[in-house]
Amino acid sequence: MNGIALSVSRGIARVTGAALGPYQTAVIRIGFGATWLLFLLRELPHRHELYGPGSPWGHDLAEQLIADNGAFTVLMWSDGRVWFEIVYALAVLSSVLFLLGWRTRTMSVIFMVGVLSLQNRSVFMGDGGDNVLHLMSIYLVLTRCGQVWSLDARRARRADGARARGERVVDRAGPALWWVFGFVLITLTVTGGLDGDWFVPALLWAVWAAQGLWWAVGRWAGGGEPRILLDVIANIVHNGGLVVIMAEACLIYATAGWYKIQGSRWQDGTAVYYPLNLDYFSPWPALSEALAANGTMVMLITYGTVAVQVAFPFTLFNRRVKNVLLAAMMAEHAVIAVVLGLPFFSLAMIAADAVFLPTSFLRRLGGWAARARAGLPGRLPAGRGDGGGDGGGDGRTGAVPGPRSRKAAESDKDPGHTHVGFRT
Amino acid sequence: MVALVVVAVAVCAHLGLVFLHVAPSNTLTKQHGEAVDEWVFPEFEQNWKLFAPNPLQQNVSVQLRAEVSTADGAIRTTGWYDLSAEDGRGIDGNPLPSHTQQNELRRAWDFFVATHDSDDRPVGLRGTLSEDYLRRIAVLRLDRNDAAGPGGVVERVQYRSRTTNVEPPSWSGEKVSGRPDYRELPWWPVAAGEKEGDAA
Repeated sequence: MNGIALSVSRGIARVTGAALGPYQTAVIRIGFGATWLLFLLRELPHRHELYGPGSPWGHDLAEQLIADNGAFTVLMWSDGRVWFEIVYALAVLSSVLFLLGWRTRTMSVIFMVGVLSLQNRSVFMGDGGDNVLHLMSIYLVLTRCGQVWSLDARRARRADGARARGERVVDRAGPALWWVFGFVLITLTVTGGLDGDWFVPALLWAVWAAQGLWWAVGRWAGGGEPRILLDVIANIVHNGGLVVIMAEACLIYATAGWYKIQGSRWQDGTAVYYPLNLDYFSPWPALSEALAANGTMVMLITYGTVAVQVAFPFTLFNRRVKNVLLAAMMAEHAVIAVVLGLPFFSLAMIAADAVFLPTSFLRRLGGWAARARAGLPGRLPAGRGDGGGDGGGDGRTGAVPGPRSRKAAESDKDPGHTHVGFRT
Repeated sequence: MVALVVVAVAVCAHLGLVFLHVAPSNTLTKQHGEAVDEWVFPEFEQNWKLFAPNPLQQNVSVQLRAEVSTADGAIRTTGWYDLSAEDGRGIDGNPLPSHTQQNELRRAWDFFVATHDSDDRPVGLRGTLSEDYLRRIAVLRLDRNDAAGPGGVVERVQYRSRTTNVEPPSWSGEKVSGRPDYRELPWWPVAAGEKEGDAA
């Protein structure tokens, strides 16, 4: 009995004491940010046809569908071309800043607004990759995904250094962003721009209120108890968001896998042959033909795919098996990107998989990136590299980062300020 | 502590509802299906039956022709344009296919099929929306092919689909009919406001 109580209290201490998986949340932030950015840049010449006023999925059609389902999109506010260009540009800009981790929490919200606005505007243009991005952009808002590998982390380090030297650090951009964000929210709520489904507007208001509270407490209550309480709440929300992200990835694989088991083609081992012979999914017909030519290979890949997808959620209980399967799935998605011509779907799936990468691997990756940067001529003096600094976050697994990854977060002293967007 | 409980409950509730959304119809969804839909739509919709239960085993080729009134007042019917083949040519050898090539027409057609009965009658709001959508894609594609010619105007359009079975793998010994299956939709008039596709 005592043992149970002890492990429960230890568990509580862990989920309240730190925002777990700082590297995992950072890598998916970068992954999804990059996926959306590259997609938007690739579709730049087709943006009007996909989401613009001149799309065959016309503004009037979208309006009727959205009146029915209440989906959130700022593109319904006007069917003007200028407004569309502004939204598209903001979506591009926010994905760059989110990827870099500049004012991460605020950018995560704008990133989400960009993703939802464009996708919900023309929902029939999307595919599975868009669906993954859609969900993850919402979940990421809940996380402190800028603790490491971000401009915020660098800014925090510099501010700490400046304070240590006795200088006063004043942040202007943060409060300015907050006021702009608040002004926009109030205007929209008053003018009815946020009518429709309640969820996204509620989330926007909640984040804005939380940021204001964080700032106010930091300003007037100093580093005292209220600040610690808010930090604990932010950690809990972050950890909840992280659980949802990981569970969502498992749900994707479980659904894809378990439904396949019921299909006759996945049973007789020929399933993989068919997509390779669909005109819409064979950009390299000679390659597809070569892959589809060997019956034994096709069957092994068919069975392997189902086995891996069904098994993956259960392998999270064993670090080694999980890592092997993770590598297999990432490899398969890389192949899908080329062979089936689904690069952005694959990129989104690889980004989702990355949440399960082990901390030790991610830290090594960060080290390589920092060294690669150092090798470049004309680099900036202080890199965006390993923001965790001296923290020894060698977590046991990506899914359940070990106790030491808490140290990594703690070594940032007060990682919260890096994402809530601003501090004084 | 309160925050911990609230977040834990919210996480469990969200995951439970999303699980029920992706699960097959079952005891719980029969009782609480509405609550599940209420939460999941519009922002948490999930479509993860990727190539499942069975991958598509047919190539569906969507084709289009038009009636054009020419500059001298005559009415001319164009030949069939194979829009899917146009998409396919855009995708071939393309490392980064666009959603306009890969999803637009393909999903518009799926949307149409899913929202129409076997007599091509629309079912509900979505049925009529899908017709409007296909008709505008038609105008856009005809414009790109310059189907109306100089001074010509597209008056009516007609879609058909040609569904061909993918030939089973040589080692399976299976035989399927190689004959294509056609589904021809009625002619649709193009409203004056829709004639000039400004989406080019």
